[in-house]
Parts: sequence; C-alpha cells; structure tokens
Amino acid sequence: MISEFTTQNKITADQLKDRLEAMACMAQKPFNKTRVSVAGALSSRLLKSEASRQAPQFVALGYWLRSAAIKRLRADFEARLTEGQVPTPRGLAFHLPPANVDTLFVYSWVLSYLAGNANIVRLPSDLPATTEWLLKTVIAVLEEADEQASNLFCQYDYRTDTNRTISAFTDLRLIWGGDEKVRQASGDPVRPDGLSIGFSDRKSHCIIKSDAYARLDNEERNQLAEQLYNDIFWFDQLGCGSPRTVIWVGDAKDHAQDLYKRLALHTEQKGYDVETGVVISKFAFANSKIASGTAQKGRAYSNQLSVLEAESDANILAEVHGGGMLWDVTVERLEDVLKLVDRHTQTLSHFGFEKKELMALAQAMVGKGGFRLVPVGSALSFEETWDGLPLLDQMTRRIVVRP
Amino acid sequence: MSFDTLFSQQPYGVTEPDKTPLMVDGLKELGEFHYQNCEPYRRVIDGLWHGRAAADNLADFPYLPVSLFKTNRMVSVPEGDLRITLTSSGTTGQAVSQILVDADTSMRQQKALASSLSHVLGPKRLPMLVLDTNSVFKDPALMSARGAGVLGIMRYGRNYVFALDEQLEPDFEAVDAFLEDLDGAPFFMFGFTFVVWMQFFEKFLDRGLDLSGGTLIHSGGWKKMIEHAVDAEVFRERFREKFNLSNIYNFYGMVEQIGSIFLEAPDGLLYPPNFTDVIIRDPHTWEPVPNGEEGVIQLLSLLPGSYPGHSLLTEDMGTIVAQDPDTHGWKGKGLRILGRVPKAELRGCSDVVGAKIA
Repeated sequence: MISEFTTQNKITADQLKDRLEAMACMAQKPFNKTRVSVAGALSSRLLKSEASRQAPQFVALGYWLRSAAIKRLRADFEARLTEGQVPTPRGLAFHLPPANVDTLFVYSWVLSYLAGNANIVRLPSDLPATTEWLLKTVIAVLEEADEQASNLFCQYDYRTDTNRTISAFTDLRLIWGGDEKVRQASGDPVRPDGLSIGFSDRKSHCIIKSDAYARLDNEERNQLAEQLYNDIFWFDQLGCGSPRTVIWVGDAKDHAQDLYKRLALHTEQKGYDVETGVVISKFAFANSKIASGTAQKGRAYSNQLSVLEAESDANILAEVHGGGMLWDVTVERLEDVLKLVDRHTQTLSHFGFEKKELMALAQAMVGKGGFRLVPVGSALSFEETWDGLPLLDQMTRRIVVRP
Repeated sequence: MSFDTLFSQQPYGVTEPDKTPLMVDGLKELGEFHYQNCEPYRRVIDGLWHGRAAADNLADFPYLPVSLFKTNRMVSVPEGDLRITLTSSGTTGQAVSQILVDADTSMRQQKALASSLSHVLGPKRLPMLVLDTNSVFKDPALMSARGAGVLGIMRYGRNYVFALDEQLEPDFEAVDAFLEDLDGAPFFMFGFTFVVWMQFFEKFLDRGLDLSGGTLIHSGGWKKMIEHAVDAEVFRERFREKFNLSNIYNFYGMVEQIGSIFLEAPDGLLYPPNFTDVIIRDPHTWEPVPNGEEGVIQLLSLLPGSYPGHSLLTEDMGTIVAQDPDTHGWKGKGLRILGRVPKAELRGCSDVVGAKIA
C-alpha cells in the first residue's frame, strides 16, 4: 500500500502494478515543449512566492530552473550528442531522495522529467512544512499542464514490498542519502536492462591560496567569509559538498585566524543557531582529536565555529562532525592537497587559483577521487554533472543511425 | 594536603568561602600532576588551554568533556598500577566511559563515599537491603556502573539481602525474613531510582511493609521516572504513605567522578561533599553564572588521581538554588538538576538508516 501525495489516495499493490505498467509507456522526447514549459512555470512560481523569502534554497532552485538556464542545459546536452545519435529516455525513473536536503528531490526529478522519463519519487515519511509546500507547488504546476499521470509522488513504508515492486519496473533508479541507504535500497533489483545509481557518502574541502587572501582588502575578505558561511552552514556542514577542511596553500601566517574571525562574526550576524548539546559535542570532538594527537591545537571562535589545526593527513577525515567544526590545514604546494583526496572526496571549493592551476590539480586527481572544483560560495550549488556523472546522459539512451 | 584537610571536617559541613581556597590548592596539585603524567591530557591542555593546567580561581581551571573518557584512554599512572576499570552503563552499541583506577584513587573514593554515607547512616554499619538483584555483578574487572554502584555501596552495610531475584522479580520471602530478623533495629536500603520505583515500590505495594526504621539511598536520574509522572517529591511522598519510610536520600554523581556524591538534603537540594564543588556555566559565553541562574554543570573533585577527571564539563543542566544555608548542618552549594542539555539531530544529506529508511 502506498499513498499518493496531496490526494492521499491509497494505491493497493495490484493498482500499483497497473499504474507502473502504464507509466512505463509514458516517456516523452527529451526536452519536449510541454515539459520545458513546466520547468519554466515552476521557476516563476518559486521566484515569486512568499515562501521563497524564508527559504533561500527555493530561490536557488527557481533560478536554476529559469528558461535561460534550461535552454543552456539543453544546448550542453545536445552538444554532447554526435552525428547520427537520437536521444531517447530510459523509461521509468525511480527517485529515492535524501530525508534531509529539502530541494534535492526536485533537482533529481526535474532532470529526469526533462530527459523525458516517467517518474516515481518516494518522499520521506515526515515532511517539514517548507518541503511540503514545495512538493505541492510542483504537483500543482504538473496538474495545470495535465502532466500528473506520468509523475507519481508518494510515501510508503520501507519495510513493505513496495520498494521491490517499484524497482522491478524501474529503468533508472537514483538513490540519494549515503552509503547505508544505498546499500539497503539497492538490494531490490531493477529491470535487467535498468541502471541504479547510488550517491554515497562524500566529503568536501575548501582550498585557499594564502597569497591571494593576503591581497584582499577588508571588504573582499568579508565577502569571502560570507560565501564560506553559505558553503559551511547551509546544511549544518553535513551536505556532501559542505567543506570539512580549509586547506591553505602557502604560509597562511595570521590570515587563517583573520578569516575565521570574520566567518564567526558573519555566522553570528546571520543568527545561525546551535544547540548546547551540539556545542558540547564539538568541544568533545576537539578534545578527543587533540588528546589522540590527530589535531595539535583547537580554538572555539564562537559557539557556532570551532577550528582544529592539524597536519595534512588523511586521519583527520576518519570521523567528521557537522555544525561548524572545521579542520585547518596548511600545505606548501597545491599538489599537497592530494593527501586529503580519495574516493570519498566530492568538492574542492577554491579561492585564489588560476584556471591553469586548477586544471593541473584536476589532472592530478584523475583516478584518485574528487569530482568538482568550484569557487567558494558554490560548494552546494547543484549541477547537472553530479558526483562526476553527467546525469542527463545517465537518464537517456541513444538511438544510433548509420545511413 | 587539601583533600585531608577537607576530609577531616564534618561531611557536607564546609562553607563555600572556607572550601574554595582548599579546592584551588588541591586542583592545582592534581592539574599539574596529570599534566606531567598523562600525555593525552597534556596535549589537550597545550592545544586548547594554552598549556595552563592550573589556575588561581576555581572557575579558571580547564575542564574536560565527560565523553572524552568514552573516546580516549586517559590515565596518569603506569598501566601496571591500575586495579580496576569502571565503565558507565550505556545502551547497546553506544560507547561507554572507561575510568581507570589505581589503589590510591580507589582508597580515596572509598573513604569519600564512606564519609558521605555515614553522614546519613551514622558511623556504624547497618544491615542492608539491596533493592536490586545479585546478578548485577558480572565480570568484577569490568563492572557495569550499576554493579559497581551496588557493590561500592555494599561496603557500608552488613547482613545483605537482595530484594529482587535473578529475573528482577520480587523476592517476598527474603524481604520478610530480613525485616523479621531486624527486630526493630535500624537498617538501610540502596538501589537505582528507576529499579527502586518499578520493581520495589510497585511490586511490594500491597505487602504492608513497615520500613520506618530504614533509610533509603537511591540514584540514577529522573529521566525514565518522568515518563511515569514521578518526581522527587512524589517519590518521597508515596514511600512515606505506603511504607512509612521518611528517611530518603537521592544522590547525583557519575562514574567519571565516582565517590563524589551530591546528597539530597532535607531541603530537596543536592549538596557536594567537602572535596567536591560545582560551577554552573552559561551555555553561550561559558562563563560561570550567578547562583539562581541555569546553565551547564561543571564538576570539580579532588578524588581522581589515576585519571584526569578532576574537572569535568557534564551534559547536564542545573542551577544553584542555595549556598551555605546551614539548615540541619548542610553547607556548600545546593544544586538542582534540570535534565540533559538540549540536542537535536543535525541535518545533512546522509540518511540515518534504522528500522526504516526515512
């Protein structure tokens, strides 16, 4: 038994199978007109809404979906096709978004929707009010375009067979939410020719060129602190892209402290709230890491921000602590950053490096790990290429035509 | 030595102004000793406290988070000198505290406990009714907090009888026989608050017991009791009503500072023993708050010699309600516990996978 969102319609196991069979035939051409306009309509609704004022992540989503951005997404996608290739959707896509990152289900769904797939999205059992609002908005826009039949947003108990039933009809399954969730959810097989993609636990860092920071004036330093604040605190520092470490390249002198003071100040101004239990837990984390010799020094700049100084060593990433617990590391050269890069690395957000330095670093990362090098401030910005995978390409197949 | 000076006074009988300088001296000595002898402690002091293990004011001593004893092995004496490892009770899968105790520290803990208990039980050992089962003792080298607690307190009684059987069910015959043998002589009872309530009070309710000659000492926190709508006052009242028992003393203490027990005085507040003190800290500034205000509890004790547990930041909230009231001879800071610090789960994009995937 599953319940369809908004209507709370109960769908029995038999009805579900019929529905899934029907949905399997509802795929459309990638970027068909109706679907592109649905994305546009959702964008304008988000950007105009009152709710977005309280939730900056909705503004980011609205901006990401605006017509010009979708046009560029499409152009990039089509540019990747070679002569004699006709893209076709996979069929039925099954999305298992994470419980806590409130806009991610829309990114996962909308890309697949634009790729032309029919979609089933399983939502967590307890939805925060803001997420519920977002979901209702998505469904309303779909209904206005008479597109709801091919998109099912639902909730169901994971302990039932529902996941197995849906998976058996699935051409493409996207599992978000870390290693454990991927392991559990991928136990149920998808169609024999289906594809299941797991988004596993990832860790991210921020790299700053010390010389470049030294050259910034007061205002520019505050701006950088503000960008870093967004990267770190938006998802309580527990997003896959949230920086755990600030790696200074070249002698950081007093600049590290200077930046952290600004960051702490900005965090306080933003009113980022941290519970006493989390503050004590960060204090305990710092004590434990220093007692064991993994970190050398620690400083609580405020209840929100604690910084641990350490040598560049993979040990510092063995355990992580969110909510404003930052590792501070200084390395001599950019390639020393690689010591902290492994298959669990996702994003290196950077400041002060030239394009050719970043390209060289990316070359050195080949085969090791790490999938994004983006400017500080956009660590959490969703992109079509995620965890190194061009998602639209995963969500479609190619018909090859050789005349 | 400060400990001996404080120890030689009437238990719970030293005023704060008299206690403070002696505590400072004792803590200085301990801080420096642990700094010299415990490498992980030295690293913490160097890395977080600018290398200063001691201070001139009570409030300026560095403190460790209690949970550090769960994650790190903290010991200040040669491994060969260790006599006993005390562990905290934790739910399955959770890390437990490991408190490493040598002969000296163990001796001090026992003396401390004896002095605290004699304050309410008198100087002589009394017949003891243990409100628990004797199966709480498992491996004596690695005892659970409950087993260690019971065993620790049993030193101060004699002619022990356990009120509960192996299955934690009431042993009516044993209790009846115990009370009969007493023939009106004073006796004492000890148990963990929740067990005392659920397995003793509830189960013996209709037995018509007369416990008027007894003294009940209990500990373990009120968290589970709140679910049964029982607080300290209801607890006392019901025992008085049903069993004619009015000598009841709750205490607050933790395995990380075992031996330092905050005993409940007739005013319902918890008082630290002479060689122990408490500071309440503002959870925003971490500065001490004035008496009457709420905050996070820091505990200071002169007992821990073999491990650096002399100054600890707990995860409990509390407030000092009275200082040196001297009612019925109780002096020092009168503490009220307000529960655990608030802690919500942080968001993030890794799902917590339990019985179900959210």
